[in-house]
This record gives sequence, structure tokens and C-alpha cells, in this order.
Amino acid sequence: MEDKHKTAKEKLIEELSRYAAGVLPDQEGKELSEETKQLIRNEAIKDLDAFLDVKIKNIHKLIKNEQALKAKLDKKKEWQKDTFQRFNIYFRIQHIMLFSSVIILIITGLPIKFPNSAVSKFVMSIMGGISTQGILHRIGAALLIGFYVFHTLYTIFHKDGRRDFVQLLPKPKDIKDVFQMIKYFFGFAKDKPKFDRFSYIEKFDYWAVYWGGIVMVGSGLIMWFHNLALSYFPKYVYDIAREAHSDEALLATLTIVIWHFYNVHFNPSRFPGSLVWWHGKLTKEQMIDEHPLEYEKIMKGKEGKNV
Amino acid sequence: MKKINSVAVHSVPDKKTKITVKLFGFILLAAAILSLPTRAVSQPPLYQKCLLCHGRPGFKKILPDGKVLELFVNKSELENSIHSKLHCTDCHADVMEIPHLKIPGKVNCYRCHYKDNPNGAMPANEFFQSVHGQMVTAGDPKAPRCQNCHGSHNIQKVNSPLSTVNHQNVAYTCGKCHKPQYDNYIQSIHGTALLDRHIKSAPTCTTCHGKHLILKPDNPESSIYPLNVINVCSKCHENKELIRKYNIPGGRISTYKESYHGIADEFGSVRVANCSSCHRAHLILPESNPRSSINKANLAKTCGKCHQNANINFTKGKIHVNYKSKSTGILYYIGMFFEILTVSTLTLLFIHILLDLFRRYKSGEIGGKNKRGE
Repeated sequence: MEDKHKTAKEKLIEELSRYAAGVLPDQEGKELSEETKQLIRNEAIKDLDAFLDVKIKNIHKLIKNEQALKAKLDKKKEWQKDTFQRFNIYFRIQHIMLFSSVIILIITGLPIKFPNSAVSKFVMSIMGGISTQGILHRIGAALLIGFYVFHTLYTIFHKDGRRDFVQLLPKPKDIKDVFQMIKYFFGFAKDKPKFDRFSYIEKFDYWAVYWGGIVMVGSGLIMWFHNLALSYFPKYVYDIAREAHSDEALLATLTIVIWHFYNVHFNPSRFPGSLVWWHGKLTKEQMIDEHPLEYEKIMKGKEGKNV
Repeated sequence: MKKINSVAVHSVPDKKTKITVKLFGFILLAAAILSLPTRAVSQPPLYQKCLLCHGRPGFKKILPDGKVLELFVNKSELENSIHSKLHCTDCHADVMEIPHLKIPGKVNCYRCHYKDNPNGAMPANEFFQSVHGQMVTAGDPKAPRCQNCHGSHNIQKVNSPLSTVNHQNVAYTCGKCHKPQYDNYIQSIHGTALLDRHIKSAPTCTTCHGKHLILKPDNPESSIYPLNVINVCSKCHENKELIRKYNIPGGRISTYKESYHGIADEFGSVRVANCSSCHRAHLILPESNPRSSINKANLAKTCGKCHQNANINFTKGKIHVNYKSKSTGILYYIGMFFEILTVSTLTLLFIHILLDLFRRYKSGEIGGKNKRGE
């Protein structure tokens, strides 16, 4: 009975001390005293304790490492399994073209809108005067026009482009969503509206760029090629282009800096911004939170395939 | 003087003293009367001797190279000039004897009007920086000196109507050398206003070019350097009083500054059109004049100086556009449309952002208290 209760370690010590006690007399030829036996026993226990401690610690370490590695791999697998490719490479290139051209255009354009401000004079002096400013603004303009051409071709010829264009068209649901969102803001509704692939916010951004593009590129081209334009149109057409270009520029700048930057950078759940514009991927959580309807559709499609 | 006498009489009643006082008073009075008349009245003019020859009309000398040197001095001009009390040799200081052994040199005004002279210092700093002063410094024999503009024997104070540099007369004086510019100026609206209609506020050469510190147009310090032209014109064309008094079209400067030309000018482009690029520098004429560079018939040609293919389309629409005025028609309404669009859009977007933040604050996502776990 007693033996059963002894731990493996105690058993080992017992064995060792018995062995030590039994072997030693054979070498010396006489029985050891009880005291000596006890001393040897104690020493053996000490050594074994220290040895076992180290061993156990190492084993623990190994197990920990193994577990961490496994967790990491699992996470990666889960990310791969549960991410959704929201934007394809063409879409991402378009966005990069758009924002780089718009940044150039805003920096080079605003000093012309506010010529008397000290900031404008500083920016203009950095750029090296109005002639360089003109060249830089036209480079930005060419990039923006390039973006619009690219986007038009993408919308016509790419499957995803056509799908997105249809998805981006305003629907009655968007108005319902706005009211639902207002209710949610005031706490009258518990949940946010369930968005499809594009929320009304994203649709607004898209069509704002559409409208802005027509106004800015149209009026900008008249001013870029003013000598040519004025050989066909009267001067007041040029004046209208100038007024529209200047006003729409301010509207677009303010919308981007206040609205778009809030939605993608400064709002607490996004701050300081995400890399979706770079890799185009959303996690499962983000999908469920931001585009639940699209998520449901995708999952249904997958299930259908699996069955 | 009377007062002193009466006081003396009252205080000293002695007869002998009375006579002495009267005599003293008489002497004082005589001295005062004698000292009053000017030398001019009492003495013959100091230049009488020189005028024996130089006072003869047609007195001249033919130089060896065939040039004719007019040597006649008009006596009445001299007598009425501001220098009437000076002797000839005060200015012609190198004339020592009659007949002159060598041809007298040019008069140097600096002898009297030296720098910091409280009674009339020559603006030497300004003059010698100017294009005229530089020519003098370089030793150009044709270089204009003080007397070329201010006159020599007929010199007058600037505000005298007889002065060659009077506001009314200075254009003629400049025109003696700058003939084409003068011919254009006298036909221009500025020239006719000043010379024909005698409007004293109308500009003359010096109004734009400066008086002594006249610099070349390509000198950035010059008042008519492309970037500075607008400042020169705005002296009058931004002056509300003048605009009202003479019914000058207003808002020319502000509308120019709003135009791309004005903005590029503001940022230091010397290539871009300034006032005189379109309105011309000297032959400035109102739009209604068929000879005007900004007359509708000539506008395409004027714009064509810079803009290729400039045609009749340049005349369809205002050049000085005031975007904020209802008179610009469609432009005004387009501006208003964008204003409404911008204000309303941004207001809505801003409200959306504020509500979003409000909700996040209420749910504890921001603002310090984390209610999410509860």
C-alpha cells in the first residue's frame, strides 16, 4: 500500500540508496554503518533533485515553444482561411494613382486659389515659382486623367469592374441605411445597418469622385489648352471653367481632408489607418462588422460549392 | 519803435533827453527804411556786363566742327527765374575773364545744392542711381543733367506754372529727348486729361516713372518693372476718391488680382501680362476709342501678343471679371451654386462625423470609460 503512494521520484531515491548501500560493502568488504548509509542517501537525494529540476524546466520550455509555434501557425492558417480579398490589384493601383495625383494637385493648386496667404507663398517658393508649379500641376493632372482612363477601361472590360459598378449604383436601401445609421447614432437602434459590398458612405465617395472628375478634368483641360479652347469657345466659357475648377477643387479638398480622412484614418476604430489600400484584404471580423450582407453571400456561395 | 519812444517820454520828462530820444528814434527809423529796399531795386542787375554780349538775340558761336552754339540769354527769363539774384559767375564759376579764353564748361548745380544743404539739397543719391545719373557718371556727353530738365536761365520753383518740371510741363520737357513716348502720351487718355482738360490729378511721366530715381524697366527696383506696374497704376485706379470724382471704371485692380495674370504676377512671374501689356504704357486709350488696344476690334491682336490663335472669341466675355458681381451673369450663379453645394455637403458630412463620435463616446469606445466589458 505504502509503495503505491510513493511518487516516482521517491521510488527512484529508494532504489538508488539501496544500491549504494549494497554495492559499497562489496568493495570495502565490510558493512556500512547506519549513519554512513543515511549520509549517502541524503547526498543522492540532493543531486537527483537538482538534476531533475533542470530536466523538468527544460521540458517545460520545450512544451511552451511548441505550443507558441503551433498557435502562430494556426493563426496564420486562420487568417488565410478567413481573409477576404476585397480589392484586386487593378483596383488598388487605381486608388494609388488617384490619391497620389490628388495630393500633388492639392499641394500645387491651393496656392493659386489663395495667392495672398503666407502659406501659399511659402509652398510656392519651395516649388520654385509659378512656372514649376504649373508643370507639377499638369503632371498631377496627367496622372489623374490616366486614372480616369484606367478606371473606365477597368469598369468596361474587367469582370470585377462591371460587378463593382453595378454594386455602386445607389439603391433605395441606401436611404434606409442612412436612417438606420442615424437611429443607431442616437441609440434608438441597437445595430448598425447591414451593408452590402459598398456602404452608402463608400458609394458617396465614389460618386463624389465621379462628379469631381468630370468637373475638374473638363475645366482643367480648357485651362491647360486655353489657346486652343479659346479658338473654339468664347472667353466666358474659359471664365466658367476657371470658376468651376476653383470651387470644385475646394469642395473636393475639404471632403477628402474632413470626410474621407475621418472615415479611413482618424476615426477611433481605424486610427492611424489600415493597409487595406495596399493588400486589399479584410479579416472575417472586419467583413462581418462592415459588410455583413456581402459576407453572408460569399459564405452561401462557398457552402453551395462544397455541397 | 513808437512804443519805446512814448515809454521814454513818460518816464523821462527832461527836455534835453526828449530831443536825444527823438533824434535816436529818427536815426533808427532811417536805418530801418534804408535797410528795407532790395538790392535789385536799388542796384543795377549783377549780370548787366555779361548781357552786353549774351543779351543780344541771335548771339551764337559756330564751332570748328560746324555745330552752332546758341549763346543768347533771355534777360526777362533770367529776371523772373528763381536765381534772378545770382550773378552769372555764381553758376558759371569757370568764367574768369572777358573775352573767355576757353569755352566755359557745363554748370555744376552741386556747388550750391550740395548734399544736406538745408536750403535746397540736390537728391544726389536718387539721381546718381537713376538711368540718367548713371549716364552722367559714365561721362556720356548727351547725359541729361539737372539743367536739362529743370531749365537753366529760366529755372523756376517746381510748383510755378512756368517751371519746366511743373506737373503740366514735365511731359514736354521729357519729350525733348523721349519723342515717341511723348507723342503717344499726349494722345492718351492721361495726356489729354492733363494737357487738354487740365485735370491736375491726371498722371504725367513722373507719376509713373518717378522723378529723380528713374530706373530702366528691367530693373526690379524700378517702379515700372513688370511686377511693380500694378502698384503704380493702383495709386490712382484704386483711389476711391479719384474713381468717384472722374468717373473712372472701378475694380480694375481687384479683378486683375483675381485673374490668372494677377495671381502669376503676385507669385513673381514677369512673363505674365500686367496692366501695360494690354493697355499699353503710353498710348493708353479708353475701350470706346477705335485706336485703343483694348477696343473690341483690336483685342484679338492685343491678346495675340501672347496667346496664339487669339481671335474674336477673346472679346466674348469680360476681361476684368468680378466673380462676385451679379453683372457677370452665369459666372455669378455658378459661383453661388458651388458655394451652396460646398456648405451644405460639408455641413451634412460634419454632422455625420460628430454623430459617429457621439455614439462611440456613449458606447465607451472613446472618452476613457470602457463599458464594452459590462
